Amino acid sequence: MRDTLRFALRQISVQLQIRTFNLYSLLLFFIQPAIFSAVGMILSRAAGNAKPDLIYTVIGGGILGMWSGMLFTSTYDIRSDRRDGILELLVASPTPLRRIEYVRTFTNIAASLVSLLMAIGAAIAIFGFTFAGMNILLLLLAVGLLLYSLWCLGVFLANFLAWSRLSGSLVDFLELPIAFLCGFMYPIRVLPEWLQWISVVVPVRWALQALDSILLKTTKLDNYWFFISMSFITATLFWLLSVWFNRKVDDHIRITGELSSI
Amino acid sequence: MNPVKRWIRLYFIQAWFSYRALFAWSTPFNYIASKLGFPFFSMLLFIFLGQSVGLNDPVYIVIGNILLLPSLNGVMGISMTIGGEKQFGALSYLLGSPAPRSAVFIGRAFFHIIDGFIAVLVALPIAILVFHLDLSQTNFLLLALCVLLVCITSTGLGFIMGVVTLLSRDGWMITSTLALAFYVLIGVNFPIEALPGWLRGISLSLPMTRGIQAARMALAGADFATLAPLIAGEIIIGAAYILFGFALFRGVEQISFRNGALDNL
Repeated sequence: MRDTLRFALRQISVQLQIRTFNLYSLLLFFIQPAIFSAVGMILSRAAGNAKPDLIYTVIGGGILGMWSGMLFTSTYDIRSDRRDGILELLVASPTPLRRIEYVRTFTNIAASLVSLLMAIGAAIAIFGFTFAGMNILLLLLAVGLLLYSLWCLGVFLANFLAWSRLSGSLVDFLELPIAFLCGFMYPIRVLPEWLQWISVVVPVRWALQALDSILLKTTKLDNYWFFISMSFITATLFWLLSVWFNRKVDDHIRITGELSSI
Repeated sequence: MNPVKRWIRLYFIQAWFSYRALFAWSTPFNYIASKLGFPFFSMLLFIFLGQSVGLNDPVYIVIGNILLLPSLNGVMGISMTIGGEKQFGALSYLLGSPAPRSAVFIGRAFFHIIDGFIAVLVALPIAILVFHLDLSQTNFLLLALCVLLVCITSTGLGFIMGVVTLLSRDGWMITSTLALAFYVLIGVNFPIEALPGWLRGISLSLPMTRGIQAARMALAGADFATLAPLIAGEIIIGAAYILFGFALFRGVEQISFRNGALDNL
């Protein structure tokens, strides 16, 4: 237990210093969400609204920042390891690659939380957003589920690179489609029904709906628990898939003795 | 060989090789997805964002995002082409070669201009089918001229960002940020009149802003006389950026010959 904790703390420290806190993360965590939020606010003003929709336009921008931050940092980790010649050392070390990915993805998501916190801070400081009348416990549970969903997706996508070297490019193209299909910056009901069906397997969509239902105070509690359950189930499925997938990669390395597949 | 012939030959040969090198790693899927994927999904995101706040007509956003394609090509493509020379260790050889710099540097833009123009030609019919764009009034010749102009003028910013990429390890991040800022600054998703005064000033000092405005008006059927001031403004600003980009490259090259600045990073 002590060794595991020591490993996790060291890994978090290295990950934060080397990979997470750099100018690229600044772009992903703050600038990109700010630009998308700015477009939303100006469109809202052009539509004749006196105030922007704080939940979707401002806080949604923060969630987009979390998603982009997690997606790029987690999936680029293995690619960077290969490029820097660290991958062989990691695979040969007694700590399983899977465990390293778990801690790295956790660190990335914890760091990307600053994007959401900044967005909420901006909503409170600039637009007078208030949490009055909200059930804070349910809100925290929804945020927790959002983090868990992102973590499960993160460890799944990190292993996704095992398919091929070019799958890194495929991961790049997930960023906006998921944001668009899961309703990061608008209520998902705006989408045509057939498009809403595509995102039922994405846990982030359900976590967001749970979060929205608390922030907007419009949805019944039954719906909230349904969203929470769906988010937990789909996220766990992604985690189980990543465990299975990781075993396949380990087997491949043991049998062929080469790392070209990852 | 005749110096003019040599210049032209060098211009086209290195333009082709630098463009091929940029996408040499790619597959057709990756190429198409990188060219159209991000812009397509960002457009959809903005359309539904607009719809959720009460803007039910997506045509403005659709047209803007299609006209943004050559701008992204001109700025990001050229910046990557120039920055790649350093990343792959070819810069020292390039700087050491006796080749005329104008052909080597400005030639980087040629295929990106054509590529950007073709991207609009591909995206426009898709938009007509999906979003039922009404082109009954469109002045096609003027529209083509405006799109070509945007393809060319956007390269100026690409040259400048290319030099920034040579000078800074974070050049690519700066270029990406600038490309994202286009969604706000150059009239892609809403008219620049919707911007606060100081941002409108920045918008008007950028290439592409007037070109995109002119292209929108050509789509609506405006004649040349109406568009002439916008086109003239776009040409002047675009030319200024291209000349500044080239001058910046030459300046940095001269400094680098003295202190090795480009190899130090």
